[in-house]
Amino acid sequence: MSLETQHRAKTKVALATEAIVEEEGRYVYCVADAREDMSLGKIGIEGHKVHTIPHKDICAVVHSCSAQPYQSDDQEVVKAWVRMHQKVVDAAWERWDTVLPLSFDTIIRGEAEKSAEQNVKDWLKQEYEEFKRRIKKVKGRAEYGVQIFWEPKVIAQSLTSTSPQIRRLDEEIKTKPKGLAYMYRQRLENLMKHEMETKADEYFKDFYGRIRKYTDDVRVEKTKRAEPSLQMIMNLSCLVYRDRYTELGEELGKINRMRGFAVRFTGPWPPYSFVGGA
Amino acid sequence: MEPTRNSHATLVDLLDRVLDKGIVIQADIIISLAGVPLIGVNLRAALAGMETMLEYGLMKEWDARARAWENEQRQKKVEPICAAQIAR
Repeated sequence: MSLETQHRAKTKVALATEAIVEEEGRYVYCVADAREDMSLGKIGIEGHKVHTIPHKDICAVVHSCSAQPYQSDDQEVVKAWVRMHQKVVDAAWERWDTVLPLSFDTIIRGEAEKSAEQNVKDWLKQEYEEFKRRIKKVKGRAEYGVQIFWEPKVIAQSLTSTSPQIRRLDEEIKTKPKGLAYMYRQRLENLMKHEMETKADEYFKDFYGRIRKYTDDVRVEKTKRAEPSLQMIMNLSCLVYRDRYTELGEELGKINRMRGFAVRFTGPWPPYSFVGGA
Repeated sequence: MEPTRNSHATLVDLLDRVLDKGIVIQADIIISLAGVPLIGVNLRAALAGMETMLEYGLMKEWDARARAWENEQRQKKVEPICAAQIAR
């Protein structure tokens, strides 16, 4: 027996025992608008073979795995998993045009009486109408991320020159003695804060209206902390018809060219933000 | 203005979507995912660090390391077990 044959024989035994565990779960990547029963090859997380589980004219895109969630303390490992998850969703999206993505680490398990594969089938059957409704909602569209930032320093400077109230206070401070100047500065700060918020509201409404025109649906997300010199004032997920993203891009370009503003435009993403809940 | 999906530049955008969104299955056939939000939180902490690095322009180094790591994973990957094949 050559070393290679020995090695293969050992692997086979290992495969046979592990197969039982492996059969227990189905990691679900997405539900696709396709009547397909096929393998997509070893494109899954950690090289798992990805296949479809059909029900009528839709299918779930899954890989077989043990009934254990993917968990790791190593951030790089998790990031790689998330990237692989996305690659599979992308592959299905490209192939079948419309997909409903699931979030990372959704695993359907088998039960004593029912295999995991059967549980996935039953789940598709039970949710069929709802999935068809959501497929219709996102068909022909893609998700884009739009984040708008401003530079607080630049905005504050322009407020100082345009707001008569602020300018007056700013000038008065210079003439006041130390103690009083301190009080005035407090007042100025409060006024500035208030004016900045008002400005932010104005811009938000203006941008929202301009962006909304080119989108089919919008989700306003929480803004996030950015660099100290930039402040995120808007964080949107936009559902956009595929042939309209250039128009949206043009509008965003105009905002991006405004002094003191910056826009981040990402995508196209599968419609993650538009397939959950209502 | 053209949208970007450069995989390193948009990692945070990807994580926001893949970890927090998508179809949610509310049934007991789902493996308990109590640990998942924790993964999310930990990751975000690491990413906050990443953003700071970006500011100081050290992203190139991180990028190189990430790619090297990915490459390494690909090299040592064992052929996965395919249960369906064995059952057939």
